[in-house]
Amino acid sequence: MPALALAGLLVPAAAYADDPFMQRVLVEGARASQLGAADSAGMGSVTQRQLEARTIYRPGELLEATPGLVASQHSGEGKANQFYLRGFNLDHGTDLRTTVDGMPVNQRSHAHGQGWTDLNFIIPELVARLDYSKGPYNASTGDFSSAGATAVNYSSRLPQDQASATAGQNGYGRALLAGSRDGDDSGGTGGPGAWLYALEAVHNDGPFTRGDNYRKLNAVLRYSSGFANNGYSITAMAYRGAWNATDQIPQRAVDNGLLGRFDGIDLTDGGQARRFSLSAAWARSDERNTTRANAYIINNRLELFSNFTYFLDDPVHGDQFAQPDRRVTGGFDVSHSWHDHMDDMAWSTTLGLQAQNDNIFNALLHTEARQVLATVRADHIVETSAALYLQQRLRVTPWLRGEAGVRLDRYRFAVGAARAGETLASPSISLAFGPWSRTEFYLNAGRGFHSNDARGVTQAQDPATPLARSRGLEFGLRSEALKGLQTVLALYRLDFDSELVYLGDAGSTEAGRPSRRYGIEFSNYYKPFKWLSLDADLAFASGRFRGTASSPGAPSAGESGNRIPGAVEGVAQLAATITPSGPWAGSLRLRWFGPRPLVEDNSVRSKASSTVNGRLAYKLATRTTLELEGFNLANRQVSAIDYFYESRLKGEAEASAGIHFHPIEARSFRLSLNHAF
Amino acid sequence: MRFTAILAAALLWCSTAAQAHNFHVGLTEISFNPRTGSTEVVHTYTAHDVEALLMNLYQRQFDLGLEEDQAVFRRYLEKQFRISVNGKPVALQWVGMQANVDSINVFQEIEKTELPAGAVLMDGVLTDFLPQQVNNVNVSGPGRPAASIVFSRERREQPLP
Repeated sequence: MPALALAGLLVPAAAYADDPFMQRVLVEGARASQLGAADSAGMGSVTQRQLEARTIYRPGELLEATPGLVASQHSGEGKANQFYLRGFNLDHGTDLRTTVDGMPVNQRSHAHGQGWTDLNFIIPELVARLDYSKGPYNASTGDFSSAGATAVNYSSRLPQDQASATAGQNGYGRALLAGSRDGDDSGGTGGPGAWLYALEAVHNDGPFTRGDNYRKLNAVLRYSSGFANNGYSITAMAYRGAWNATDQIPQRAVDNGLLGRFDGIDLTDGGQARRFSLSAAWARSDERNTTRANAYIINNRLELFSNFTYFLDDPVHGDQFAQPDRRVTGGFDVSHSWHDHMDDMAWSTTLGLQAQNDNIFNALLHTEARQVLATVRADHIVETSAALYLQQRLRVTPWLRGEAGVRLDRYRFAVGAARAGETLASPSISLAFGPWSRTEFYLNAGRGFHSNDARGVTQAQDPATPLARSRGLEFGLRSEALKGLQTVLALYRLDFDSELVYLGDAGSTEAGRPSRRYGIEFSNYYKPFKWLSLDADLAFASGRFRGTASSPGAPSAGESGNRIPGAVEGVAQLAATITPSGPWAGSLRLRWFGPRPLVEDNSVRSKASSTVNGRLAYKLATRTTLELEGFNLANRQVSAIDYFYESRLKGEAEASAGIHFHPIEARSFRLSLNHAF
Repeated sequence: MRFTAILAAALLWCSTAAQAHNFHVGLTEISFNPRTGSTEVVHTYTAHDVEALLMNLYQRQFDLGLEEDQAVFRRYLEKQFRISVNGKPVALQWVGMQANVDSINVFQEIEKTELPAGAVLMDGVLTDFLPQQVNNVNVSGPGRPAASIVFSRERREQPLP
C-alpha cells in the first residue's frame, strides 16, 4: 500500500491535524498545492472534484489524471488497459504500481502479462483522491513502481447519495447507485460508524463490427468506524465482467479492403474476469505517533482468449490461445511513524513491514473457438515476498527538507518443484529546497525494481533475473510564484538492468536487455479565474537499449538496433475546464499520444495521434444534473496501439510481417442523468 | 555527505527535543441581538483542524468556499453542537459560513428568541476528532451575566448559565 504507508506524513491521505508535513487548507478549489509537502516534482494528488470533471471512456482512464500517463485499450473492454508513462510502454502495468485502498492491483506472474492491472472494478464515483508519484524514489513502494505508482483511495462516506443512469452510442449503458449511512455517535469520542455501498452495472459494445457485448457487475460494501487516522474500516468488493474481443488486425488487410477498421478476425476472442476482495484498514495516531495496518485477501479469475497471429502457427485450427489465471492474493502492510517538531524543524521516522503471497494456477493453452486443443503449459505458482522499509524525513527550515529511505525485499518463487529467490536492497534519497518564494527545487536519486515472471525466473535454461533493478536520477522544479499557476518541471534518467519486452506474436513479455531513458516533463495547471482552469501537461522521453552483442539478452539476428519497441516518445494533454456559478459546466481535453518505434532498428514507427474528448453538464435542479460526454470528437481514425510482427491470414500463402493495430474508438456520445439524494 | 550529517544531527535531536505543542481551540460566541431579537451563535475554528477532520471523515478535500461543500461541515456541526431545554432541542438556524486560509466562521441563530433559561449545550465539535481540542463558549444576553464555559472531550454537555 504505497500511498497509505507514506500518507501519514506526506500526502493528505492520512492527514493528521498535528502533522507538520500536511499541506495547508484548500479554499480556492485549486489543484492541491504540493509545495512544502512533496518529495519530488513527479509527486501529486488529484482531488475528487478534478477527477469528476474528466471525461473517462473506461475506468482505467482515471489514471490519466497523472500528468504524462496514457491508458489505452488494445482488445476487448474487459481486458486490462495498456499503460504508457515516462517513455515506457508499460504493457498491462509492468513498472506502474497501482493500488486501490492499499490493495495491490498489479498481478505478478500473470498468465498474460507481468503486473497485469485490470482496473475495471473501480467505481469512479467512490474515488476520493488519486495520489501519484513518478520515479523510484520512495521506500514504501516496491515492485512495479519504477516508472510510477498511483494510489486510488475510496471514500468511507459520500457527501450525498447518488443515483445515475447513462445511455450512449455503441450499446453503452450504465446504472449506478451509491451512498452512505452514518451510524449513531452517542458516545462522541470514537467518531461515527458509517456504511458505504455502491452498485454498478455496465454494458458496452464499442464501435466494433462484432460488438464487445461487455457486461459488468460491480459492488462495494464498506463499514468504517472513527476517522481515517483513528479508526478502522472493513471493505468487500465484487466485480464480474464478460466480453468479446476485437484484437489487433493487420494493416495490410485493411489496405487491401479485406477488413474494415473495426472488423475482427477471430470472432471467438474474448474473456471473462472476476474479482472478489475483502480488506481491512486500521490506524491510530496521536501527536507523535502514527500506526497503520491493512490486510487484504483477493480472489482473481480470468479467462482470456486471444489470437494475434491468426493462422501463422496452425494453418488448420488457427492460433487462438487461452491464458486462464486464477489466484488468491493475501497480504498485509503495517507501518509506524514517530514524528515531532520544534519551531521550524520537523522530523519523522517510519518503519514498515509488507508481505504478500500469491497462490496462482495459470496456463497457456492452444484453443480453437475457445475449445482446448493442447496445453502448452500449466503451472501452479506460489510467489511470496516480504519487505522491510525505513524512511526518515526531516524539515530543517521551511525552505529545506529531505527524505532518505531504504527498502529490503525478499522474494521466493515456486513453480511446481522449481524454486528461486532473491533479496534486494533499494535505497533512495530526496532533497527539496525552496529558498525563493513559492518555488521549490528537488533532487532525487533512488533504486527500484520489478519482479519477473516466476515461470521465467525458475526455468532451468537461461533463467531470468528474479528482480530486475532500476536506477533513477531526477531534478525537479515546482513553482507557484505566479498567482493561480502551478508549474512542475522534471528532468530524469531511468536505467533498467533488464527491460520487459512485449512479444506481439506470442502475446507475452520477456525479460530483455538493459535500457536507459532520459526524459523531461512539464506540467502546468492554471486557474486564472474561479470558473476556469487550464491544464497543459507535456512529457518527452528518449529510451534506448544498452545491451551489446556479448551481453545477455543481446540482439540476435534481425533484432539489431537499440530502440525499445513501443516506448512512447511523447505525451501531451491540454485541457480547459469551465465551472461558472450558473447551471452549466464543461471541459474539453486534447490528448496527444506521441510516436513510438515499433522495431529495434527504428525502421518501422507508429504515428502520433491526437484525440479530443469533451463534457457538458447542466444542473436541472439543485440535486439533478444532466451530463453529455463526447469521445474522439474529431472522429480521428487513429490507432490505440500498433505492433510490428509476423502473422498469416486464412488464405494467405505465407506469413507477412507488418503493422497490426487496434483502432481508437470512433466518435461517440453518452448522456447521463445524475441525481443526489 | 552534508545531508547525512544533517540527518544524524536530527536523529540526535529527536531524543533531546523539547516538547512541542499544537493548540486546537474553538471559540463560540452566543449573544442576543436586540436589533433583530434573535440569539446569534458565531463559531470560529482553525481551518487546518476542520480540513483535517473532513479529510479523515471523507478521505477527500473540500472547498469550503463552495456552498455544496459547506453542507458537509454543516451536517457535522449540527450533529455536534446542539442546544436543548428540558431535553427538547432548540432550533438553531444555519445562517452561513466563511472560510479563509486560517479560520472557519459559522453563523447560526435562534430566530426571534432569547436564549431560554435552563438551556443545556452539547458541544462536541472537533473534540471527537482531536483529543486536545478545547472549545470556549462565551454566553451573554440581556439580564444575563457574561459567562465563559470550556468544553472538551471529557466535558461535552454543560448547562448554560
